[in-house]
Parts: sequence; structure tokens; C-alpha cells
Amino acid sequence: MKRDLVAAGALWLILTAIGELLAVFVDFYPLAKADKGEDIEHAFRVLVYFAVPVFTMVVAVLVYSFLRQHTTEFPTDDGPPLQGRGSIPLAWFVITSALTLAIAIYPGLVSIPNIFGDEPNPDLVVEVEGMQWTWFVSYPQHDVARVSELVLPVDRTVRFNITSRDVLHSFWIPGFLMKIDAVPGRTTTISLKPTKTGSYQTDPNLRVQCAELCGLFHSKMRIPVSVVSDEEFAAWLEEQAGAADAAPLSEETEAADALSGGIER
Amino acid sequence: MTHTAEREAPASAWSALVPLARGVLWGLAGFGLGVALIAVLRAGAGRSAWSLELSITFGYALGIVGWLFGVGVWERWGREWFGLSTKEGPTGWQRYFAFTLDHKVIGIQYLATFLLLFLLAGLFAVLIRAQLLSPEGAVMGEGTYNQVMSLHGIIMVAVAVASIIGGFGNYFVPILIGAEDVAFPRVNALSFWLVPPVAVLLLTAQAVGGWDSGWTAYPPLSLQNASGQLFFSLAIITFGLSSILGGLNFLTTIIYMRAPGMTWGRLPIFVWSMFSAAILALLFTQFFAAAMLMLILDRIADTSFFKAAEGGEPILYQHIFWFYSHPAVYIFVLPGLGLTLEILAHFSRKPLFAYRWAVGGFLGIVGLSAIVWAHHMFVSGMDKRLIAPFLVTTEIISVPTGLIFLSALGTLWMGRLWIRTPMLFAMGVVFNFLIGGVTGIFLADAPTDVNLSDTYFVVAHFHYTIIGAEIFALMGGIYYWFPKMTGRMYDERLGQLHFWLMFLGFNLTFLPMFWLGLHGMNRRIATYTPDLQGVNIFVSVMGFILAASFLIFVFNLLRSLVWGAQAGADPWRARTLEWQVSSPPPVENFPAPPVVSGHPYDYGVPGAPAHGVVGMAGGSDEVSR
Amino acid sequence: MAVAAAHADVKARRPGINQLGLWLFFASESFLFSALATARFVIAGTDRPDELNQALGLAITSVLLLSSLTAYLAECAIARDDRPAFLRNLLATIMLGLLFVAGVVVEWSTAEFHLSEPYGSAFFSMTGVHASHVVSGMAMLALVYWLGLRGHFSAKGYWGVEATIKYWHFVDVVWVFFYPALYLVSW
Ligand code: HEA
Ligand code: HEA
Ligand code: CUA
Ligand SMILES: [Cu+2]
Repeated sequence: MKRDLVAAGALWLILTAIGELLAVFVDFYPLAKADKGEDIEHAFRVLVYFAVPVFTMVVAVLVYSFLRQHTTEFPTDDGPPLQGRGSIPLAWFVITSALTLAIAIYPGLVSIPNIFGDEPNPDLVVEVEGMQWTWFVSYPQHDVARVSELVLPVDRTVRFNITSRDVLHSFWIPGFLMKIDAVPGRTTTISLKPTKTGSYQTDPNLRVQCAELCGLFHSKMRIPVSVVSDEEFAAWLEEQAGAADAAPLSEETEAADALSGGIER
Repeated sequence: MTHTAEREAPASAWSALVPLARGVLWGLAGFGLGVALIAVLRAGAGRSAWSLELSITFGYALGIVGWLFGVGVWERWGREWFGLSTKEGPTGWQRYFAFTLDHKVIGIQYLATFLLLFLLAGLFAVLIRAQLLSPEGAVMGEGTYNQVMSLHGIIMVAVAVASIIGGFGNYFVPILIGAEDVAFPRVNALSFWLVPPVAVLLLTAQAVGGWDSGWTAYPPLSLQNASGQLFFSLAIITFGLSSILGGLNFLTTIIYMRAPGMTWGRLPIFVWSMFSAAILALLFTQFFAAAMLMLILDRIADTSFFKAAEGGEPILYQHIFWFYSHPAVYIFVLPGLGLTLEILAHFSRKPLFAYRWAVGGFLGIVGLSAIVWAHHMFVSGMDKRLIAPFLVTTEIISVPTGLIFLSALGTLWMGRLWIRTPMLFAMGVVFNFLIGGVTGIFLADAPTDVNLSDTYFVVAHFHYTIIGAEIFALMGGIYYWFPKMTGRMYDERLGQLHFWLMFLGFNLTFLPMFWLGLHGMNRRIATYTPDLQGVNIFVSVMGFILAASFLIFVFNLLRSLVWGAQAGADPWRARTLEWQVSSPPPVENFPAPPVVSGHPYDYGVPGAPAHGVVGMAGGSDEVSR
Repeated sequence: MAVAAAHADVKARRPGINQLGLWLFFASESFLFSALATARFVIAGTDRPDELNQALGLAITSVLLLSSLTAYLAECAIARDDRPAFLRNLLATIMLGLLFVAGVVVEWSTAEFHLSEPYGSAFFSMTGVHASHVVSGMAMLALVYWLGLRGHFSAKGYWGVEATIKYWHFVDVVWVFFYPALYLVSW
């Protein structure tokens, strides 16, 4: 029995070592392109560090028990009558409780203010309205209204004020790892800071993707995101301000309107 | 099944359909009455007599009463309320098609119904995977996809709620506790006969436009879409009533019908898990029904519970819905875990490790499951102050769940593992549910859930928990109890082949979904960005292999039913009571009342008394309960 | 023989089984009612419109409370085999129930707030669901009354009476929570 414990323990240690090594080096996410995205990725990695020993411990016992003694014929004798009434269950209970509390505190509770908190004085405020089945983006500070494209300056804090015109949608930018639902009659917010430039053309995760089922074209409810330098951003704003009066609705919007008009209830 | 009954059968084959036909007729009559009632009322108020959803709702409400009375409630129960004598139901194979009071027959009725529904919903899953072979959608349009996906989800949820509880719970709980029947046999039959209308509603909803709001049916979408949504809501209320009555029955049965000597400390662990699930089903299901009631009222009666424009609150729906639907995931899984522990103990030839702690685990989950629901709503836009408390409570639930793992692992440790198909499935549950549970922690951690929510990471998580634990346990249970229910042995080699194909197919289908979720694939989409196609193709192909494994299962089941070798009373040489009687058990379960004097899992314990003795001389009065 | 003994055992436990089943049913139902009450406070806060007919509300509440008393008397009467008193009180209960339902109907048809307001949604659905329970309770009481007329039930066996009346009390207790939730709270 002692030898079995040692052997299973060794199996556990080996599996854990392999697992933790993988956990350090594997990239779980595609490159995160916002500050909070990086924090979330970090939180995920910390959880993996915790999960590996739990996982390998169960697997080690499962595999070792199987290897140690199994038969395809009816066993000739019964196993040792371990009842599990002693201190082992208590120890298990204490350890799992401690582990749970640990991860609940870090990366859980500790990260909440950061991830969910709002930037009180953002560099840029963006208003977002979801409707079946597209997004309208407005930049109130810059008099740019209702475009169906999200352009952000790199390294500037942004707060999104999000709402919906009809049903629930969810404002998700996979490349930033951030999302929040768009709820009719409410404004929900997220704040973040893009940290790397890029655009939908080169990184499909730079898109605003609707992540809450909203009917027929839910899967197509996405608009491109670009993160650009300050100068490019200014130029883009300029361009929009000119275009806005001429054509209030972009191509995608018209398409969406045409679609929704054609759908029978 | 007696010889005479079998001989009579061909002559009266049609008569098996009589109760069903009468149920349908009375149901239609009730429907007509309801519609007429509304017509009269509305005409009286000077409005058009027919209002699609209102008329259907009332028609359905009366129709369901008609159906139940026609199918047998009247003959076998209702007559008594009026002081008349009740009539006997059919015997022989026809009782499987009738309002029957024998809990074993009802168990088989449940099992057969939900296996069929499972295969059907599985076929929808095959369609889902076929669609996702291509980023632009390979086989259907968005609208169809959303409906197929919703139908897959809700039917599978129904399967997960009722297959083990309704099937094995009904068949085996009374036998395991040494009872002759459940506490309320007629309520039991009633809860089964509420199920066919549910299936009919869900599958005919397409006729009125179907519904495309997933199994969660969040408003305002579910207020806006076609009348299929109404069918969905009516189906859920009906199904809810069925589960509530089931829960009530199991609790009463377990509390009152235990054989002499069957103390709480000697209950087989499967019974404990059923007890826990029954508490959840009894209480929380009402919230799902309430949510559906409010949806219906918002649709047909102009209330504004969930209409933001009129001062309603869409997020309220989510709170009510998840207040049920989180406990519901434990309704799915607890009986599966209980069954797993049961099988592990018998096939490891060891006592169930830390029995009391495992029971504590089950009850602990029941207690905690009421205070974690909002972990489904971290990014719903609810009050941000709710995030922290729900994060903590949710993660604490891994402690009682961990106790069940402790029990499983301690039982396996140094056991004499007898590798038979049920054992393979039970060990599969331990592995799969580990992955499902641990990834649940990643979702429960609000900061990481901000990204993971509504992605394929969630899809992978819940298939790991539901299929990995509930469906694997269901399969294990079918192999384990097949000899008892049919008197015949299944084919061991086909069984093991099924296990390995299913186990590998399952893991290879759903493990890559975690990757998909992390790489920007969200749920419930008919089309996706092209960079994800490679992994999606792999997932789909593995999904087809997974589906194929069920062909082996069905083949094995049907073949063994007819040609399987005689099983004998106790092919597994297990200690629990069901193996102390013939296979299949006699109608009254025990030829003589059983007396329980030992623990069910005392394998290898020197001097341990037998768990139970059937028909011990001296009668039952001497052993105190 | 032995099977018969087991049968007897279950028979002996039957009253307990029935009681437990009934109470579990109440437990379950109370979750339905609490879901409705929760919805009321979430969508309408603790507001209530001034146009509520307070006098009527108080009146129907008293009527319902009174009906619980007569129901109780009916149960006591059958327990001592006093059939006339049993039937009399049962009839009184049904009548009071009818009065309650009539009160709700008046309330509904004269209400000055609309179904589509948040408070209205809560008010009409809570009173509606409750009233439907009252009506089903009355149907059961009527059945019991009819059976009682034909000589059913006696001091030795009156589970049907007891269950129906317990149900009636339960529906009454629900109203004891709903009445303040709808008519009284406001701050
Ligand atoms: C059988 C079904 C089942 C089960 C058992 C679970 C179990 C758990 N689930 Fe899951 N879940 C679902 C079915 C299930 N879930 C479904 C269907 C959905 C999606 C619904 C929808 O939106 O459609 C979902 C979604 C879901 C979400 C929402 C995701 C989102 O939409 O954003 C969350 C978030 O917290 C979550 C968490 C958990 C947790 C923490 C557990 C825990 O109970 C797991 C506990 C188990 C373990 C942790 C492993 C064993 C423990 C040990 C070995 C001890 C040591 C461990 C530690 C100390 C960590 N689940
Ligand atoms: C019990 C629960 C359960 C089970 C068993 C399954 C089984 C499967 N599920 Fe499903 N699934 C859900 C519950 C379940 N699912 C839920 C609740 C949702 C969420 C819905 C929502 O978002 O609202 C979902 C959603 C869901 C999605 C996401 C859809 C989306 O978000 O767009 C996907 C995608 O791959 C999927 C795939 C599968 C696959 C491949 C299987 C496979 O395991 C299927 C295996 C195949 C079979 C079982 C069929 C075998 C039958 C035959 C081969 C025919 C033989 C027939 C006869 C002999 C008569 N499921
Ligand atoms: Cu908008 Cu999905
Ligand atoms: Cu949950």
C-alpha cells in the first residue's frame, strides 16, 4: 500500500510537471490587443496553473488504479475494505476548500474591479447601439455618428456606452477579450485601452461580434475594428465628419435594413 | 410477461392503441372547447373570435386535461373521485402503451421515450455539425440553423432532466429501497403521460414558424419571434409539471417506503442522488414555469414583464430562468454521479469510499445550487455589485462536488477493477466530468468569463458535464441494468466497442471546442470567420464518429433484447437489493418483504452481514426502521 | 402471506405518505408564488398606484380569511361525524370563495391602471394566478360537498376533506402574502 502511494504520487508529480510546463509555454489565446485582454489572459493562465495539479491528481489515481489491478474475469477476491471514515476525507475537504478560496480571491475577486471597473475620465467615449443585425458606433466627442465600423486610437483609454434598440445583443471584441450585453432600455459599459495596432483585414479577431443570440442574422452581426495611430485616427474622424452629412447610413446598414425589412415575423 | 398475455397479443394488437386514440380524441375535444370558450368571450367583448396565440393557449390547457383523462386518468383514477370503481388497465406488452401504475413499466416507458428523443436530438446535432463544416454554412440557411440548434438544445435538456430520473429512478429506486412501488403510483403515471404532449409541441412548433431563441428563450427576442415560441413555453410548463410531480413522488417514496432496516445510512448512493435531484426538481422547476408564464402573458395578454419600452425588465427573465436552470444542471448530473458511484463500488469490489461525505456532497450541492445562478449573467449587464458574491458561491460548489470525486477515487484506489462495459462508462464519467467541472471554474471566474461567456468554450464545458457525466452514466446504467430489466445479457464486445468509440469520439469532438472558444468562435452561429474552418471540420468529423457509436449501441440493445443470453438474477454478484430478485423482477418486486441489515457496499469487510435478505423468516416487525 | 404483511405496512403508513405529499406540493407551489412576487418588486419597485380600491381589497381579504374559518369548522365537524354541520360549513366556504372571486372580478373590471404598466402586469398576473387557485379549490370543495351529500366521508376516513381544506388554507396563506405585497407596501 505504501509503495502504491509512492508510485501513484510519482505519477502525479510527473504529470503535473509536464502539465505545468505546457501551461507556461502554450499560448491559449491569440495575441490580446488591449490592456484588459492581457489581464484576462493572465487570469486564465493562473487558473490553468491551479487546474493542472487537480486534473493530474484525479487522472493519476484513475490510471494507477486501472494499471495496478484490473481483470476482465470476475475478480477472485474483494478489494481492501477502505471505508474512508478517517482523516483522509477531512484533509481532502480542507485542501479543496482552501484551494477554492484561493482561486476565488486571486485571480477572481482581486481582478473584478480592474476588469469590470469603468474608466472615469476616458480619452475617448464611444457610444454603441445594437440593432438587428448590425452595430452603430458614434463618437459624441467628435461629432461622428452612427457608423458601422469601429476605429480606435492605440494606447488611449476608451469607454463604450452600449445599448440596444430591439432585443439583446452582446458587444464582443474577441481580439480585446472583452464583452458586455447590449440591453434595450439600459446602458452598459466597458472600458479598455487598445495596446496594439491592427485591423480586421489582418486579424479576424478584430471585429465587433454580436455574442448574444438575436435572431436570424445573429452570426453575421459583426463590424470591423481597426486600432490605429493617433494621426490616422484624426484623419479618419475628419473623413467621417465630411461623409456623415452626405450619407448617414453606411453600406452595411442599408443592407441590414433591407434584410430586416424583408423578413416576415 | 406471462405466456397467455403473449398469445393474446396479436388478436388485440389494435386494442393497445385504444387508450392512446381516446387520449387524442378527448384532447382534441378539450382543445376545441378551449378555443370555443375564448371565441365566445372575445365575441362577447366585441372582438374577433379567433386570436391565434390566445386561442391556442386556452385550447391547449383544456386539451391537455382531455388527453390525460382520455388516456387513462379517468378510468384508473378519476372515477374514484366520484365514488365509482376504477377499471383495471391492460396487461402484457400493451401496458407499455397505457396508463399503467407499475413503476417498472413506467420506468421503461420513460427510458424508451427519452432514448428516442435523444437519438432524434442527436440527429439535429449531426445537422449542426454538418452546417459548420463550412464558414458560410454548408447545409442550411441561418433561420433554419437557429431553429435546429434551439430544438437540439431543448430536447437534449429534457433528455438530461428525465432520462435517468424518469427511467432508472422509477424502475430502480423502489427496488433499491425494498419497496413494492412508489408512494403515489397514479401520480407517477400522470407525470409520464404529460411527456408525449411536450414532444408533440416541440416537434410541431415548426408548423407555426418554429422558434429560434435557443433553449434559454431570452426576451425580447422570444417576445418578437414566431408563434413556435408559444409552443415552446407551453411545452416547458407541461414538462415542468411532470418533473415537479416526479420529484414529489420520489421524495415521498424515499422517505416513507423504505424496507425495514433500510436506514438513511444504508441507502444505496444512487437513491441519495435521486433524493437530492428530487428536491431540486420539486422546488426550482416552478421558476421555469413562472418565467414561461410571464413570457406567455407578455405575448398574449399585453403585460410587460420583459418589455423594456413599457417599463419591464428583460434581465428579470434571466434571473428567474437561471434560478431554475442552474439547479437544473444538477438535476441532470446528480443522478448520473450517483449511478456512477454505485457502479464503481460494485465493480471495484470495495466499499464505497467516504459514503457519508459523498452524501454530504450531494446535499451540499443541493444547498448551494440555489445561490449561484447569476454566474450565467456576469456579462448580462446586471448590477455589477452582484458579480463578486456569485463568483464566490459558484466556486465554492466545487467543494461538495469534490467530495463526490473523493468518493469515486477512494473507491477505485486498490480496487479489483472488473472491466465490464458499465465500469468503463463509470470510469469515463470520472474523467469527463473532471474536465467539465474544472472548466466550469474558468467560467465561474468572472474576469475570465468576460471573454469566455457565450463562446464555444461554454459549449464545450456543458457538453463535457452533460454528455460526459449524465449521458455516459445513462449508458453505463443501461448496460448495468439491462440484464435486470430484460432478463437477458447484452453483448459485451459490442458494448466495449461502443464505449471506446463513444469515449474517443466524444473527447475529440468537444476538446477542440475549448480551443475554438478561445480563438473567437461564439455560440449559436450558423456562419463563422474562415480562419476557424480547419478545427471545425475536425470537430464535425469526430462528431459524426460519435454519432456512429450510437448505431452500435442501438444494434446491441435490439439484438440482445431478442437473442441475448439468459442473464440470471445476479450477473454482477452485487449486494444491492435489485440483484436479490429474479430478472426481470416480479410485479410486486419482492416475492416476500425484504429485510435490510447491512450496508450495501461492504465488499471485503470481514463479518459484514448481507445488505438485504428477501423474505427472511420471522416477518418484518422485529427489525426497527 | 408475507406480501400481505408488507401491504398492511404500506397501508399503515398511508396517512403519513399523503400528508407529506400534500406538504411537498405546497412547498413547490410556494416557489411559483414567490417567483411572481419577486417579479412584482423587480419591475414595479415598491410603488403602488393611488387608484387601488383599498376598501375592496380589504373586503375580499376578510372574506377569504373568514372562509378559512368555515373550512376549519367543516373539517372539525366531519371529524366528529356531524354531517349537517360539515355540509353547512362547506357550503359557507364555497359561498365565501365565490364572493372572493366576485370581488376580484369587480377589482379587475374597475381597475384604473392597465395591464401593460409594470404594476398592472404584476397585479393582474398575481391576482389571476391566485384566483385560479381559488377557483380550483372551489371546484374541489364542491366535489367534496357533493360526495358528502351522498354519504361519503366519516370520522374514520376523511382524507379527501382534509386535503381539500388544507389546500384551501394554503391558498389563503398565499393571499396573506400577496395582499400586502400588492395593496399595502410603499415607501
Ligand atoms: C450537468 C450540467 C452541468 C454541471 C454539472 C455544471 C457544473 C458547473 N458549471 Fe456549468 N453549465 C452547464 C451545465 C453544467 N455545469 C450548462 C448547460 C451551461 C450553459 C447554459 C447555456 O448558457 O446554454 C453552463 C454554463 C456555465 C457557466 C456560464 C458560462 C457563461 O455562459 O458565461 C458557468 C459560470 O460560472 C458555469 C460554471 C460551472 C461550475 C463552477 C460548475 C461546478 O459545479 C463544477 C464543479 C466540479 C469541479 C470543480 C471538478 C471536481 C472537483 C474537484 C476535483 C475538487 C477540487 C477542485 C477545485 C478546488 C477547483 N457553467
Ligand atoms: C443532453 C444534452 C446534449 C447532448 C447529448 C448533446 C449532444 C451533442 N451536441 Fe449539443 N447542445 C446541448 C445539449 C446536448 N448536446 C445544449 C443544451 C445546447 C445549447 C443550445 C442552445 O444554445 O440553446 C447544445 C448545443 C450544441 C452546439 C452549439 C450550437 C451553437 O451554439 O450554434 C453544438 C455544436 O457543435 C452541439 C453539438 C453536439 C454534438 C455533436 C452532440 C453529439 O453528442 C450527438 C451524438 C449523436 C447522436 C446521439 C445521434 C445518434 C443517432 C443516430 C446516428 C441515428 C440512429 C437513429 C436510430 C437508430 C433511430 N450541441
Ligand atoms: Cu445581435 Cu446577436
Ligand atoms: Cu450554472
